[in-house]
Amino acid sequence: MDFDSPDVMKDFPGLYASEFNKKCSNDSDYSDDAEKGIKKDMLIGKRKDKKDKKDKERGYAALEGESSDEANKSRSPSKSKKSKSFKFTTKSKEKREKSRDKEHIDKKKDRDKKVDKKCEKDKLKKVKQSVEETIYIADTLPIFGVSLDLAVERSRCHDGVDIPLPIRECIDYVEASGISFECVYKISGTKTKVSQIKKMYNHRQNVRLSDYDIPTATSLLKMFLRDLPEPIFTNDLLIRFEEAGAILNFNTREKHLKILVDNLPPLNKLLLSWLIVHLNKVSLNEKQNKMSKQNIAAALNHIFHISSRLLQALLYHSQALFPNVVIFKYIPPLGSGAQLPDKQQAMETELKKQESLLTQIHKEMNVCSISKEREELLWEVQRIITQLKRKLKMVQKVKDTPEKTEEPASVKEDEPVADVKNDDIVDGSSSQNDNGELSISHSDNSSSKSQPTIATVDTESHHLDLSSLSREVQDLNSSEEEFPLEKNDFLFDDDIVLLTYKRNGLISLKEQLLKDMQAERNEIEILKAKLERSNNASAPIALIPRQECLDDIMVLLQKENQILQIKKINLVRKIIEEKESCIELSAQLRLAANDNYSNKF
Amino acid sequence: MSKKPTAQPVIHKVIMVGSGGVGKSALTLQFMYDEFVEDYEPTKADSYRKKILLDGEDVQIDILDTAGQEDYAAIRDNYFRSGEGFLCIFSITEDESFQATQEFREQILRVKNDENIPFLLVGNKCDLEDKRKVTFQEASDRAKQWGVPYVETSAKTREHVDKVFYDLMREIRARKMDENKTSNGRGKDKSKKKKRLCKIL
Repeated sequence: MDFDSPDVMKDFPGLYASEFNKKCSNDSDYSDDAEKGIKKDMLIGKRKDKKDKKDKERGYAALEGESSDEANKSRSPSKSKKSKSFKFTTKSKEKREKSRDKEHIDKKKDRDKKVDKKCEKDKLKKVKQSVEETIYIADTLPIFGVSLDLAVERSRCHDGVDIPLPIRECIDYVEASGISFECVYKISGTKTKVSQIKKMYNHRQNVRLSDYDIPTATSLLKMFLRDLPEPIFTNDLLIRFEEAGAILNFNTREKHLKILVDNLPPLNKLLLSWLIVHLNKVSLNEKQNKMSKQNIAAALNHIFHISSRLLQALLYHSQALFPNVVIFKYIPPLGSGAQLPDKQQAMETELKKQESLLTQIHKEMNVCSISKEREELLWEVQRIITQLKRKLKMVQKVKDTPEKTEEPASVKEDEPVADVKNDDIVDGSSSQNDNGELSISHSDNSSSKSQPTIATVDTESHHLDLSSLSREVQDLNSSEEEFPLEKNDFLFDDDIVLLTYKRNGLISLKEQLLKDMQAERNEIEILKAKLERSNNASAPIALIPRQECLDDIMVLLQKENQILQIKKINLVRKIIEEKESCIELSAQLRLAANDNYSNKF
Repeated sequence: MSKKPTAQPVIHKVIMVGSGGVGKSALTLQFMYDEFVEDYEPTKADSYRKKILLDGEDVQIDILDTAGQEDYAAIRDNYFRSGEGFLCIFSITEDESFQATQEFREQILRVKNDENIPFLLVGNKCDLEDKRKVTFQEASDRAKQWGVPYVETSAKTREHVDKVFYDLMREIRARKMDENKTSNGRGKDKSKKKKRLCKIL
């Protein structure tokens, strides 16, 4: 199907209507009323038509999480405006030009989905021009009934968990107060209430689910999942999931399901993991809520578009399929008037949330006009961000000054140890140098060059390894010196505890590295001994006629070896970097766990 | 999110515009916290609120400090719509920043569709008299042409800092009172007509 064919014109009239109008209104950005009227008619008239199409086509949308991101990014006005910024008229013009450019690209890419998206956006742009007309965000950027990636983008949880907000809040609500509710997820809520909440979400109003009863909340969750244009298991994998669910052998089934789950798009996988883990939790309270795995599977299989057998299997394997999934309550960004956090870490997380919210509002504004309340929120969020940044800066400043006074003391404590270790390392590496030279001299002496040289390269590689390791250790030592050891600073006990944890972790890493080095050194000794032995033994056996041929091979092997060495060193370095970040993370975890404990400092 | 429209005093929304490095943030911080920051750090967007006494009336001022850098123009544009008054800043030591005010003015008029939007032309850094590149006459001529006041300030010495904010708020307040009066009568139609005219231009 060619894109320019009249068929497509029929299929996507909105697109062409706007295209047509674009040509008409290219000269002036503000078209007159008559034209507007025509446009509106065309758009509204076809809206229904389009919606049907959309629903079908959105089926593909969920598969293309990444490309949709791309599309959004390329639309980002901050980029488009860099060159020609600061002109409002050009903004809309540029956008339209962009959309035309995009059309060409779309031809190559999966156009079904993008055309759908663009229809929507073109429509928006057109409507946006008529200043008098108000467009509701709920109509242009709905959350319910759109592909998962769009739903996530439009109703983000600002704490970095990419699950649509309505789902997250339903789960939170059920976990908090519905887990022992009899026949939870089975009883349906009031229809009018459910659609009212849905409307509120679509309008980006604040929803307090706790104002409603559990069945209403669970019905909302069910409605969201049912309204997804593509099942969460994706059209492609659905049958394979069913097949895997039907496997009788427990272990085989688990293995197959695991593979399939890992093949899901990230957003689908995440949402599924939370849902399954959550539902499994519900089923564990079977005694109170009467919802066994079997019951849950029977009540909810249709919203997932799967058989109850498969859903039941997933619940049984939930631990194995999603071992690391931990459901935690969503804490939305703070509103105005709320007390801003005082601890640096809390401030940083809050700042991230607020910035995520701000980005979302800006994105909405770029597509359609937003409500007064939303505009109000924009200023408010910006204000909170400014305050947080200011606060953080002040903390940083206060922190910088005491640290400087603390540093000498801590260095003094640390230095002797570090020095000894450093000396140790230097000694070690220099002795390695000696080893290297020794073996080279051995190889010179020997009549056959092949074996000894290999050995030389071998030791060299160890030597390189060691030197890189020693560098790492030195780095560790030096980085340790930066950490203040004093614990009497009452202002930043949090950070200090964190630093002590980190330091402990780093010290153990250092010890580990030193041990490794010792082991390597031992190995080198052994190799050296071997080398000597082989020198003695193999020298007479060497075949002189093939010497040249062997030399060539040797050169090749040596080169190969060098490349491998470099790779190895890089890998070792990476491993150490990873280890360090692991230490940092575990320190942070411990800190979080000991949040109360840190107050006692 | 909580709004207390009855309990809270009137809010005037002020937006700072101007090229990068002219001292928008410096003016804002001087007004907000009486501090002068020497080191330059480009703003993306910052927003502040302050309760003040304006001619015996309790009001709140919302200040939006925008980015001078074009990198953040998109973000800035989103705020323009909700701004009620504008301080258009340039540095008297930099002619380019003065030339840029023309563009800012045009853009604001385009977004607001209103020739009479409360607006002040502000020449900052007037403590650096020896480095002056834009004469007082030049700037006040342009202000006259636009029909707006021109004030020279120094964020460093705090000269006229309060004045520009208070003057602007008075204009906003007058504007709001005007609108309240006319919105009851036929005034609304007039403003609409004006909007149309602007569009054609």
